[in-house]
Amino acid sequence: MSSTASIATNFIAPSQRGSVIRFVTSYTLPLLVAAVFAVAATSTPDFATFANIRAILINTSIVGIIAVAMTAITISGNFFSLGIASSTVLAGIVFLAVSGLTGSALAGLGAAVVLSVALGILQGLIVGAGLNPVITTLAVGSVTYGLVAITTKGAVVTAGSVDVAWLATWNLLEIPLPVYIFVLFTAVAWFLTEHTLIGRNTHLLGANRATARNSGISPQATTIWAFIAFGVGLGVAGALNASQLHQMQANDLAGLTMDVIAAVLVGGAAVSGGEGSPTRSALGALLIVALGNIMLLHGLDNGWRVFLVGGIVVVLVVALHVLRKVSTR
Amino acid sequence: MNATREFFPKYALQIVVLVLVVGIMATVSPSFRGEAALFSSLERLIPLGVIAAGLAVTMIAGEFDLSVASMAAFAGAIAVQLGGLGLIASILIATVVGVLLGSLQGWVIARLGISSLVFTVGTLILLRGATWLATGGVPVTLTDYKLSDALTVRIWVFTPLSLTTIAVLAVLGIFLSRTRWGREVSSIGGARQEAVASGVKLRSRLVLAFAISGGCGALAGALSSFRGGSATPDGLANMLLLALAAVLIGGVSLSGGRGDMVNVAFGIAITAVLAAGMSSIGVKAFVTELFTGVLLLVVILLEFVIARVVAHKAVVRRRQPHLAVT
Repeated sequence: MSSTASIATNFIAPSQRGSVIRFVTSYTLPLLVAAVFAVAATSTPDFATFANIRAILINTSIVGIIAVAMTAITISGNFFSLGIASSTVLAGIVFLAVSGLTGSALAGLGAAVVLSVALGILQGLIVGAGLNPVITTLAVGSVTYGLVAITTKGAVVTAGSVDVAWLATWNLLEIPLPVYIFVLFTAVAWFLTEHTLIGRNTHLLGANRATARNSGISPQATTIWAFIAFGVGLGVAGALNASQLHQMQANDLAGLTMDVIAAVLVGGAAVSGGEGSPTRSALGALLIVALGNIMLLHGLDNGWRVFLVGGIVVVLVVALHVLRKVSTR
Repeated sequence: MNATREFFPKYALQIVVLVLVVGIMATVSPSFRGEAALFSSLERLIPLGVIAAGLAVTMIAGEFDLSVASMAAFAGAIAVQLGGLGLIASILIATVVGVLLGSLQGWVIARLGISSLVFTVGTLILLRGATWLATGGVPVTLTDYKLSDALTVRIWVFTPLSLTTIAVLAVLGIFLSRTRWGREVSSIGGARQEAVASGVKLRSRLVLAFAISGGCGALAGALSSFRGGSATPDGLANMLLLALAAVLIGGVSLSGGRGDMVNVAFGIAITAVLAAGMSSIGVKAFVTELFTGVLLLVVILLEFVIARVVAHKAVVRRRQPHLAVT
C-alpha cells in the first residue's frame, strides 16, 4: 500500500481484494436464509404451511421496515439508534389517537409519520453537529418514553370506535397490506441508497467523513437525511403495529430495539459506516423473525430465541470483521 | 482536551449540577432532607453506582461496554440460583463469572481489533438470552429469603450495599490514578498510539478494562437481586441508560482519556439524588427516566459547546503569535 502504483491499482481494480468480502456479504445471507427455511421446512412439521409463512412475513414487516430505515443511519457512519422501541410506540399511539379523533386511519398514519420525521430531524441536527449518535438516541428515546408514559398515564390507548384495523388486514392474494408496504419500502430505500446522489453521499460520509467533507458533502445535511429516512420508517412501522394490535401503551415493544439492531448487523452493514444495504437488512429481519418462529414451533421459549439471535449477531459480526480485515490487507 | 482543564476548574460543572439537584430536590420535597435523604440516595448506589463504575473504566480506556446491564441481570440470575451456597459464596461466584466473561469479551475485542460498540451490542443480546435461560423465563426467588438480611443492616446512613459501592469506587479510583496498570488503562483511552509507542501492552490492558466492567456489572447485579430476593429475566434493562447518564454527567469524555473516578462519583451522586428525590415525592419511575434523559442531553450538549468554545479560543490564541511575526 506504500507505493502510489498499488494505491492506483487498488482504486481501479478493487475486484481482487474486495471480491471475497463482496461475495460473502452479498451471498451468505440469502444462502443462510434459504438454508434456514429449507431445514425448517423438512424438520419442523408446521413450518412450511401457508398460514405460518404468512405469519412470519407479517411479523417481519414491522421489524423489517425499521431495520431498512435504520440502515441509512448505519451507512452514514452514525452506528445505530438505541431509542427505537419508544419512538415506535410514540408513532403507534399518535396513529391511534389521531385516527380516533379524525375518524380516518390515513390521517393517523400521516400524523405518525410527520411526528416521527420531526423527531428524526431533531436527532439528526444533534448528531450532525458531531454528538455521539448512540448516546443521543438513547437519551432522546428515554425522554420520548417518559413523555409518552406521562401523557397516556401508562394507560392503554385505542382508536375508540374508529376502524384502524383495515390498514393491517386489507389483503391481496391472502397477503396483508403491511407485507406489501414492507416490500415497497425496501425497494424505495434500495433505489435511494444505490441510485441517487443522497444515497451515494451517505455511503461516502460513512466510509470516510473527512474526505466526504473535503469533497463538498455536508455531514450535517446528509446525517439529517439519514435520520429523516429513519423517521419515516418508524412512523410507518409504528402505525402498522398499532393497527395490528388495535391498542398500544408506553411499555410495549420492549424487545424491538434489539431485534432491529440485530437485523441490521446480521444484514452485514459495517457499523463503522460506508457499507450496508437496505435489502440485506430486510433479509436480516426475515432471518431473525423466522428463527424465532421455528423455535416457537419447537416449543422453545423466548430465552432461546434471544440467546440464538445474540449468538448469530456476535458470530456474524466477528466473521465479517475478520473478512474485511483480510480483504483490505 | 487539556485546554478544558486550563479554562475550567476540573469538577466545577459537576459540583454546580450536584448542588442544584440537591437544592431543587430539598425544596420540592419536604421529606427529602437530612439523614433520610442521604440514606435513600445512598441506597440507590446498588446497582447504579457499581455498574456505572465498571462502565466508566471501559469508557476511560476509550471503549464501550454496552453489555454491562445484561451482565448484571445474568449475574443476578446466577447468584439467586446459587443462593443455597450461602450469601458470600454465591456473590463471589457470580462476580468471578462476570470477570471471566468480561475478560473473554475484552480478549476478543483486543485480539480482533473489532469495534467494542458493535461487539458488545451483540453480547448485550446474547447475555440477555442467557439470563432468560438461567431464570427459565420466569422471575426466580431466593429459597432462603433471610439470606439477604445481612445486606440490609443499617449502620447510620450506610448499609453493606452502599459501603460496597463506596469501596469499589475507592479501589478503582486508586487503581486508575496510583498504579501503573491503572494509569496504562487510562493512557490507552487518551492517546492510544502514543501509549502503545511508549510500551503499553494494549491487548492486556483492554482485557483488564473489560474484566473490570464485567466484574462490576456482575457484582452489582448479584447484590441487587439479593436485596430484592429475586431475579427476573428482563430485569435491570434500564441500567444501561442510567449508568451511561451517570458516567457522562460526571464528565467522563465520550472519546476516552478524560475523566477519573472522582468524575464518576459525582455523576453517580447526581443521578442517585435525582432518582431518590423524585421517588420521595411519589413520582413514577418513568418520570425519573425522562429527567435523567433530559439531564443527559443537556450535559452532553454543554460539554460539546464548551469543547467547541475552548477549541476555537485555542485556534485564535495560536494564530496571534503567528500574525505578530508576519
